[in-house]
Amino acid sequence: MSNEVMNNDAPEQEKQYSSARYAWGAFLAFFGISSATHRGSKKRKKLIGDILVYIILLFGSFLMIYPFWWMLAASFANTSNLGTSTDILNRLVWWPSLSTADPDYNGAHGFFTNYYDLIVGGNNRGFDLAVPGLTFWRVLLNNLLYSIVPVVVGVITSASAAFSFAKIEWIGRNVVFYFLLAAIMVPGPSIMTAQFCMYDALNWRDNGLVLIIPGLFGSIMTAFFIRQFLYGMPTSIIEAAKIDGAGYFRIFCGFILPLAMPAIMAQGLLSFMGSWNNYMGSFIMIDRDQKSINLPHALALLDESQSSIPGGYAVVIAGSVICVLPVMILFACFQKLIISSLMLTGSKE
Amino acid sequence: MENNLTANAEAVSEGAVAGEAVLPQKKQKKPINQQKLQDNLWGWIFCIPLIVGTVWFVYICLIAAFLLSFTDYSMIGSLPMFEYLGEMGKHLAYNEDTGATDILWWYKQVFTETIKPVGTELNQMGMYLFNTVFYMIGIPIGMILAMFFAVCMTRDIPGANVFRVIYYFPCVASTVSIVYTFRLMFSNAGVINQLFGLQTAVDGEAFTWLQLSGNLPLTWNKLLGKDVTTQFMNEPFWCQGILSKAVIIIMSVWKGLGGTIILYIAGLSGVNAATKEAAQIDGANGWQIFWKVTMPDLYPTIFYNIVTAVIGGMQIYAEPVLLMDENYLTSGYVSLIWEYGLNGMNASPSTGAAYGMFLALIIFILTMFQFWLDSKNKD
Repeated sequence: MSNEVMNNDAPEQEKQYSSARYAWGAFLAFFGISSATHRGSKKRKKLIGDILVYIILLFGSFLMIYPFWWMLAASFANTSNLGTSTDILNRLVWWPSLSTADPDYNGAHGFFTNYYDLIVGGNNRGFDLAVPGLTFWRVLLNNLLYSIVPVVVGVITSASAAFSFAKIEWIGRNVVFYFLLAAIMVPGPSIMTAQFCMYDALNWRDNGLVLIIPGLFGSIMTAFFIRQFLYGMPTSIIEAAKIDGAGYFRIFCGFILPLAMPAIMAQGLLSFMGSWNNYMGSFIMIDRDQKSINLPHALALLDESQSSIPGGYAVVIAGSVICVLPVMILFACFQKLIISSLMLTGSKE
Repeated sequence: MENNLTANAEAVSEGAVAGEAVLPQKKQKKPINQQKLQDNLWGWIFCIPLIVGTVWFVYICLIAAFLLSFTDYSMIGSLPMFEYLGEMGKHLAYNEDTGATDILWWYKQVFTETIKPVGTELNQMGMYLFNTVFYMIGIPIGMILAMFFAVCMTRDIPGANVFRVIYYFPCVASTVSIVYTFRLMFSNAGVINQLFGLQTAVDGEAFTWLQLSGNLPLTWNKLLGKDVTTQFMNEPFWCQGILSKAVIIIMSVWKGLGGTIILYIAGLSGVNAATKEAAQIDGANGWQIFWKVTMPDLYPTIFYNIVTAVIGGMQIYAEPVLLMDENYLTSGYVSLIWEYGLNGMNASPSTGAAYGMFLALIIFILTMFQFWLDSKNKD
């Protein structure tokens, strides 16, 4: 701004500038920056800034996407040419045509050999090598069970608690709320030994109940975020329903659940992703020779069993793609809902 | 249920009408009380599952872990945990040398356990804590990068929302998948070494990012191509594992960036536009506006981010262990809890509980320290 004011006076003074200085000024003006000799245009400045920002953001996006791209390419790797120049490990992959250029994709399943071996369990490359008798479908079913049942029930119990905290006046409400909220201060690893012993005594560990039952009771963070959302909702709806003779249960099912659906959906999706990727829970609580382990845990065991086999990485990466893909697709479908919920609640996950 | 409630509500309103007509002062209280009773009843009913879950799976477990750390619980041969804790008096921890009861025995053990990787003995807990704190280098890096990208994304350009989604992708991906991909990308002949031409960087050999024993003995002198004769530069111990730690930091920054960016975008959109405009009219340039107007408004977001990042950072476990297996050079503190408390039949949950209680204490103190700094800042 101040530069512009000066520039208005500049022609009257008719100062002499050296040609180098003049050229520099012209150069800056091209990018919209004002100097003593030239005046830059604001429009040009904005345009140049936008282009710069685009370049930066595109470069960043490339860094964010490339590992996934590489993962996808590596999952199609041909493991019959290990150590040669066509081995995917020794190569930068920019485009999948590089990997399709291999003439000797062995096996009947072409590019999908790794996926086929993982899913069907052929060539000693399936989950049954890690855990005897474990099939891919069993692991997938486990993971779906662990991430759908506790999340659906848990988000409803959380929403009911949120409704109680946000819209019903009862004695000791705030005390109870802060008592529950204080639980997030307790770090999970600190109490995991006691949890392990308790679940062991209850016999919930190896049958997988440990990954289902605690989730059914809801989580205080989910309740907290839905409560924030409900605070923004007018109480007059509830008052009107009460006057019309609806009980609280009716109000909850008929008004709160539909009206708070965006928040409930977003929190449910986020906790679904958390449960789907819950490596720690299965790893800590379920013994490594059980068939009730979830997908990330099974992948880790698969990696262990493949580590001594040359080219074993390819089937592990194929499994990684299968593990990542559903949550990526889910997130891509509901990105607007999830990101607006994240921005509203200010939580990271 | 519904009929019942409706009938109740009708009874209430009838009562109110009757009360007004006959005895206005005395009976007016009754309907209000009934409403209050309903409120209290349903308030409790709606949040009882959450209360039960939180108390059972967090608070009771916290108390149990605290008590366990004073006893001598073992995986096999001990009673189920609650029965065991019921007769805790009989099972107090004892000094394994003298046999005398010593309830702080496990705490003394965990603080004095040593390992001897090189000539000198080192405190084990210290090593693991050092690793954990070392990984926190990623926090400021991630914060600055996220701030930079968030400012770029809040610029008025078409398609900014698409970038948000792209940058958030790593956050939703499974840690296990990410670790295995990064392990291959950082392998000796892998993508990263190729891209930066590091195949012949150390004495004609490739950068071994992920092998603690690769081109050993790796020293700082070798890594930097220098020839300084201090112990720090020549002793392999000081350099071992540093590249693996770097990979873990890169990975966690990459994975956590999107979440932080979204928080910053939320914070940036809350910055007062009028103040910005006023500053602009007063002649402030973009840089000044950012530091003097935007940053103070963003302070709560940044503070929240730092607090959660430090709490999360203290609990790092899966990334280093999946990438490098459990070892004293790269593993975080939590792997001690797993290794001593839960791993296998010979594990001692009491030791694990003692480690866990100390972790909870550290996190509590760090959080309180941050809040103290915050309150000091505001004065």
